[in-house]
Amino acid sequence: MSSILTYVAISEGKVKRSSLEVLSRSKQIADANGLTCTAVIIDPSASSFASTIQQYGASEIFVVEDASFDKHRNAPLTSALTKVMETSSPSVVAFASTEGTKDILGALAANQKAGVVADVSSFDFDGNKVSAKRPVMAAKMMANVEVEGSPILVSVRSGSYDLIEASSEATVSNISVSVDINTLRATLREIVSATGDTIDLNEAEAIVAAGRGVKDEEAKALISELADVLHAGIGASRALTEAGIYDPSLQIGQTGKVVSPQLYIAVGISGAIQHVAGMANSKVIVAINKDPDAPIFEVADYGIVGDLYKVLPPFIEELKNIKHN
Amino acid sequence: MKFFVCIKMVPDVGAPFQIKDGELIMDSDRMVLNAYDASAVEEALVLTEKHGGEVEVVCIGSAKASETIRKALAMGAHKGSHIVVEGDNNFDSGSYSSILAAFFKDKSYDVVSLGKQSQDTDSGLTGSMLAEALDLPYATNAVGLEIESDNLVVKRQGDTGQEMIGLPFPCAITCSNDMNEPRIPNLKGIMASKRKPIDTIELSSLGLSEGELKASSKVTSYEHKPARKAGRKFEGEADEIAREVAQLLDTEASVI
Repeated sequence: MSSILTYVAISEGKVKRSSLEVLSRSKQIADANGLTCTAVIIDPSASSFASTIQQYGASEIFVVEDASFDKHRNAPLTSALTKVMETSSPSVVAFASTEGTKDILGALAANQKAGVVADVSSFDFDGNKVSAKRPVMAAKMMANVEVEGSPILVSVRSGSYDLIEASSEATVSNISVSVDINTLRATLREIVSATGDTIDLNEAEAIVAAGRGVKDEEAKALISELADVLHAGIGASRALTEAGIYDPSLQIGQTGKVVSPQLYIAVGISGAIQHVAGMANSKVIVAINKDPDAPIFEVADYGIVGDLYKVLPPFIEELKNIKHN
Repeated sequence: MKFFVCIKMVPDVGAPFQIKDGELIMDSDRMVLNAYDASAVEEALVLTEKHGGEVEVVCIGSAKASETIRKALAMGAHKGSHIVVEGDNNFDSGSYSSILAAFFKDKSYDVVSLGKQSQDTDSGLTGSMLAEALDLPYATNAVGLEIESDNLVVKRQGDTGQEMIGLPFPCAITCSNDMNEPRIPNLKGIMASKRKPIDTIELSSLGLSEGELKASSKVTSYEHKPARKAGRKFEGEADEIAREVAQLLDTEASVI
């Protein structure tokens, strides 16, 4: 029987929520079209995550365990996925659209002579072709795309689908891939900066994003406090990451991360189209800006016109009250 | 050091557009050099100015795409190649990478670079497809480049941090536009660009025909983004409106 294979990414010892969103969607499509829903995990301790995957309906889970997968490297990941695809012959392989996926998707498609569509906000498969919708032209419009071929690769923006639990008794199959990292041409030397204990923006249910209005330590402290109250990830506009005020990996926008959390709070962000392209699919958007004509208000559900130094303290206090009651 | 930078002519995403019966209608005069490719050109120029070498650009496109090549030459690239195709060919990333792979087959180079995506489709697939087709070690989403004696050292933005990757030559990279501010050609550069050579290449001379480059993906229609529900703007006393919105996030939007 033809199958939909979902690549479930592991990051810093956890299953990525965005991958489970994609797996939930794959399960729906499989059920509707009489296909098998399968999953693959590639990690030094891949099998320890199988029980989490089983809660989302995969009937077979392929695990590739090797110490070399402790950090992202494109060549070993592509060869591991190639081997899994050759073993299981899926019709569709679905990915969450992360930086790791973007690094390998084209190479894998070329290697497998597969049809491919990247960064979709929705997709379906009828047994022959994938139909997908994706934002284009700096997310100013949507393109409806059809992809043919076998297999077909698709990567899905985070937040596009809800998690749907569907308990299964999945079989776990080991696929062995041996990678000698000393023979790789590209060498990963070090990871020069990491966001450490901050929340991955692709995974966050809430995001507090700082823009040009956040200029000093006092404003940064208010951003951190607001994020703490909401258990939110912290993001930033390009102006602030370029100025070195926030880590570049926190940049949200067309060039940075494209996010779609339940709640997005834009603080001191004017709303340039490049930034809006990265956050316009958030469920609820709150904007705080002292310029009443800032374009961010055109996409915000709740726009607060005011100085962030005056608005944030009572806002944070009220949120704390709500949380405690 | 020989850099080949693959560049693309794209519609200006800031230009007005219309969607009529699912078709996209844009002002065809507003075509620009893809911003991410401009960063790749800039970075190649900076590195060759520092270490010596040459920058050549290659562009697939209609006759009009020669303007985009001239732009890169005016920035300082030494030479251009123009692979001429009809304007309305519906090529996708797979088609572009197949053409580029055929072009590079008999070329010698140290680095093939390109933007990490093109600003019209935002697919971001061509770079790693091309690297795979040419069997080159590669890195995508570069935000910084340095040359060591026998390695290109790439700083790339990953999911959780910046990864430092060493690539032996020859290699391929895709560039973020966070890595630099592309120079704006000055008058001298523009004048000089008119005298720089552009090779015109037909698909047939690469052993290809438009028919066999059929895209596996096709855009069937365009549509406007669903408009967000008109939001509410709160003005007045900071303390009051801040508390009011906090309450609404709980009681109305249910996101707290």
